[in-house]
Amino acid sequence: MSESPFTWHAGGCHCGGVRFEIALGDVVEAQSCNCSMCAKTGFVHIIVPESRFRITKGAEGLSEYTFNTRVAKHLFCSECGIKGFYRPRSNPDGWSVNARCLDSTEALDLRIEAFDGQNWEAHAADLAHLSKEPA
Amino acid sequence: MTHQLAGHCHCGAVRVILETQKAAADLPLRACQCSFCRTRGALTTSDPDGHLFVEAAPGSVNRYQFSLRITDFLLCAECGTYVAAISEIEGVTMGVVNVLGSSLAGFDGRAPDPMIYDDETPDQRLTRRQGRWMKAQVVEVQPSI
Repeated sequence: MSESPFTWHAGGCHCGGVRFEIALGDVVEAQSCNCSMCAKTGFVHIIVPESRFRITKGAEGLSEYTFNTRVAKHLFCSECGIKGFYRPRSNPDGWSVNARCLDSTEALDLRIEAFDGQNWEAHAADLAHLSKEPA
Repeated sequence: MTHQLAGHCHCGAVRVILETQKAAADLPLRACQCSFCRTRGALTTSDPDGHLFVEAAPGSVNRYQFSLRITDFLLCAECGTYVAAISEIEGVTMGVVNVLGSSLAGFDGRAPDPMIYDDETPDQRLTRRQGRWMKAQVVEVQPSI
């Protein structure tokens, strides 16, 4: 049996009320989005399948915000307002984690690319593969 | 000429208005490197001669404090957006606005000045803010129908 190519990395909100873990490879593809929501929160997306993300503390302290199609579930800590992760509309079968909320990114080769969320419909399909579980 | 730079959080429940004699291009743009601001990529501005108004319906603003607990970070209770921060300094409420969170126009494409305040004492912090921040007021308004 081969070893998992992924390592679990911890992160959280600012006040420490909400904690999570995400399994990542050494090279991490990330997106910086310019849509109305991401621009306000400075969200840097690392999108993974369901199996590579887990909430380890404080799920009950999350507030949910939805708008427009209401498919995306924007989650933030009800104490400090930080959005460490959420269910994105582009990948409702997975999670998007905010790279800014990882405890450390030093061990990661983080490759941040611009995503044109202002023209979301034209580009969202490019992200769909990121949340697919391996066959 | 008085400019009114206006913006709001994502859902619109919290509005900010910066009254200033300056154009947005002449106002500073700072990227504070503290743990709170970095998680949001916050970019702030202020005009010491200007005035900041934060307007919201009662209960629409959450206040978050940490570390020295001399600052209220104003967050929309509905959408979580960080719109502004205020601090009581010698009986006067002083504030700074998050240009990104409130989507203030006129700052696009500018490179912010990275700011590191980690070594400040509480007194030094308040003195700096007294000189750089602006008078601020949180105004309770009734939601429009």
